[in-house]
Amino acid sequence: MSADPHSHATGHGEPPSGIVRLPASTPWPFLMSLGVVLMCAALVTSMWLIWLGLFLFVISAVGWFRAVLPHEAHDDVPVADEFFSFIPEYEKVARIEINETHRAQLPLETFPISSGIKGGILGGIAMVIPAEIYGIIRYHSVWYVVNLLGGAGVGVWSNPSVEEMQRFNLQAFITANIIQGATTLLVGILYGAMLPIWPKRPILLGGIIAPVAWTGLLHSILGIVNPFLAERIDWWSFAASQVIFGLVAGYVVSRSGRLKRLSQVPLPVRLGIEAPGIHPGHEGGHEHEGDEHRK
Amino acid sequence: MADQSYPVGQGVEVTVERSPARGTWLEVVHDWITTVDHKKLGIMYIAYALVFLLVAGFEAMLIRIQLIKPHNDFLSPYTFNRMFTMHGTTMVFLVGMPILFGFGNYLVPLMIGARDMAFPRLNAFSFWISSFAGLLLYYSFIGGVGLSGTGSAPDIAWFAYAPLTEKAFSPGHTTDYWAIAILANGIGSIGTAINIIATVFCMRCKGMTLSRIPLLPWLYATMSFLVLVAVSPLTACQAMLLLDRYLGAHFFDTQAGGSAILWAHFFWIFGHPEVYVLVLPAFAFANEIIPVFSRKAIFGYPAMVAASVGIGFISLGVWAHHMFTIGMTSFGNAFFTLSTMLVSIPTGIKTFNWLATIWGGKIRFETPMLFSIAFLFQWVIAGLTGIMLSVSAWNWQLHNSYFVVAHFHYVLVGAIVFMIFAAIYYWYPKITGRMLDETLGNWHFWLMVIGFHVTFDVMHFPGLLGMPRQIYTYEPDRGWNTLNFIVSIGGFIQAIAILIFVYNMVHSYFRGDDAGPDPWDAWTLEWATASPPPVYNFAIEPEVASRRPLWDRKHPEDPDSAFE
Repeated sequence: MSADPHSHATGHGEPPSGIVRLPASTPWPFLMSLGVVLMCAALVTSMWLIWLGLFLFVISAVGWFRAVLPHEAHDDVPVADEFFSFIPEYEKVARIEINETHRAQLPLETFPISSGIKGGILGGIAMVIPAEIYGIIRYHSVWYVVNLLGGAGVGVWSNPSVEEMQRFNLQAFITANIIQGATTLLVGILYGAMLPIWPKRPILLGGIIAPVAWTGLLHSILGIVNPFLAERIDWWSFAASQVIFGLVAGYVVSRSGRLKRLSQVPLPVRLGIEAPGIHPGHEGGHEHEGDEHRK
Repeated sequence: MADQSYPVGQGVEVTVERSPARGTWLEVVHDWITTVDHKKLGIMYIAYALVFLLVAGFEAMLIRIQLIKPHNDFLSPYTFNRMFTMHGTTMVFLVGMPILFGFGNYLVPLMIGARDMAFPRLNAFSFWISSFAGLLLYYSFIGGVGLSGTGSAPDIAWFAYAPLTEKAFSPGHTTDYWAIAILANGIGSIGTAINIIATVFCMRCKGMTLSRIPLLPWLYATMSFLVLVAVSPLTACQAMLLLDRYLGAHFFDTQAGGSAILWAHFFWIFGHPEVYVLVLPAFAFANEIIPVFSRKAIFGYPAMVAASVGIGFISLGVWAHHMFTIGMTSFGNAFFTLSTMLVSIPTGIKTFNWLATIWGGKIRFETPMLFSIAFLFQWVIAGLTGIMLSVSAWNWQLHNSYFVVAHFHYVLVGAIVFMIFAAIYYWYPKITGRMLDETLGNWHFWLMVIGFHVTFDVMHFPGLLGMPRQIYTYEPDRGWNTLNFIVSIGGFIQAIAILIFVYNMVHSYFRGDDAGPDPWDAWTLEWATASPPPVYNFAIEPEVASRRPLWDRKHPEDPDSAFE
């Protein structure tokens, strides 16, 4: 779209009808940037360049100020009337219908966030019990398990001995509490969000399947990531702790409300995904817009 | 669907001229030099960056020719050092940032319904100082007194570790050229960042609330905040380096009580956010392209905004994962391991939202979408190797190896460059009024994908086998010969792909099909005006009622505004 002819204006106020007022073209930014770079280049070429750069900088600064003060220079550009036709050429995906029939297929209620927090806290406390029982029986110390979890926070420990692990260490204690607190709280909130959507038996998923799955995952990768830690973990007691966390957290979350779950409908529907062919009355899922061509 | 006419002005049909500037060539040059129009400046940014892309690509080819076999003497060690330094510096500072700023300049005002950027003269100043900085950097090849056949071109790697940059180890002006050019370039970057922030938050059209801003301007605003925070320490440390070299200060001179680690902290406080400065606009392009070619609105707009801002915040706290071998405490290592892993959460949110956008969509496999799908795949792999390298113990084994080079090229090429290509194919019709050739686009895409994976998938293995980066040759008994040969071949395939792309751009400019205002049946405001847009962008300032204003105009029976 040509902007010709520009009429340079120095006045201010409202432009006349059919005119758009735009900032006027100006050479000063170009010259000022050239001046600045020449002053820099003087360091590596010739110091005489600094004077040329300074000269360009000063005159462009003056010119730039005069272009905006007391009133900004601008060009008045006449607007050419245009007329566009927008014809959608492509198929569109059906929008999910939010009517009463459809809403009945989505969980109308969810667990409150507080239920996930409660579940996480109580699960986190409960899982400490089997872990500590293992530490006391096997190493005669309540601090062994704590130090195992929080040892990453002790800067001076590279390969601590069993004796060191059996003693109280403040840095390890603080780190272990941070790790345990943050992790259990987040997993509890995740339970609160996901359990209404997933299967008929949330305790089975949250209490047994999920903990066993992530225990297996940790078992398989910890030997690579941190061999020292992997050697010192008793995986049976670790798995028991995880399952107890899952059972307690899942139970607490589930007890927070009796929600209608959608075990009879496909997972994409339960997750609220807009996809063709998954909602009744939308077989095929696409509305054809016709084969009109763009102008 | 009925024909929805969108009258602009008084409803009189006009022919839109394709060439805004006519006259003698001197008048044309004058028009471009003095312009403050965001669209012209955006085009100049993009053109300038594409020229340097070819230059940096040529340097990469020289590097790969040198490494194609052991004991090769194609380049001298001095020249090789200059090549990888200039390749890295050029790709980050003269290609990545300018091309993304160029798209930002061109698109942000159009997408928010503005007439121009908030500070048009500052915009012009930012462009020109960045471009002069680039020219100064390359003047180093012919200026000054060099050690070899390449003038005073920098030879200190793109991160210029101290104390290598001190006068004792880096005589002549090689380091000075690098520091001065980056310092001047930083001034331009900061100017543009301020401009984008002011434009996004102060220049929106009527009805465009914060929750209706398209994702691209949102991400550009986030990126601009990152530029402000990250480029400032870079500029500071360049000034400190120049003080060391010219006035005898000892900031980084380890023999005089200075600290090399101080430089590393300063540089990487810039360097890692810089990765996100480059990748956030790539995400922004994906946010615009993927929905249009899936025929679905972006999935989870609020989560996408939150994740983008979250990435910006977290990226400021991960810089020391570049310094695991520098001698930090194990607590420091653990902290930066965890903070680096934390970035994967908002990034994962974005990735899953893109997949959810595609899921159930009516996908059109045109060139912009092909590049976007490749981006998704490659970005996930880049993230996985990033997680591997975030583990400090693993990082110690692979630091400064070709595994790291492969990882960051997966990010910079596999994600960012691929999305830049997608963006060029997507918005070229808007910028020029012509369509790029789809057949050539397909050739470009497939050669690029094949070349990319041949190069950078294989490049992980010499790294795992212990090949350090920045070595100009190697012994033949290390098991790296075949791998390096394959990597070099992949590089040549990518070079061919990029030449096809350049030919496509030039050819289509003169002979491409007319694009019309809205060739992709898209939904944001830049498509609601002519291609190329008039100097004032919109005859009547737009008013919007949803995140997809053009959708609302095309589908009055089913507007987004009814759902927001």
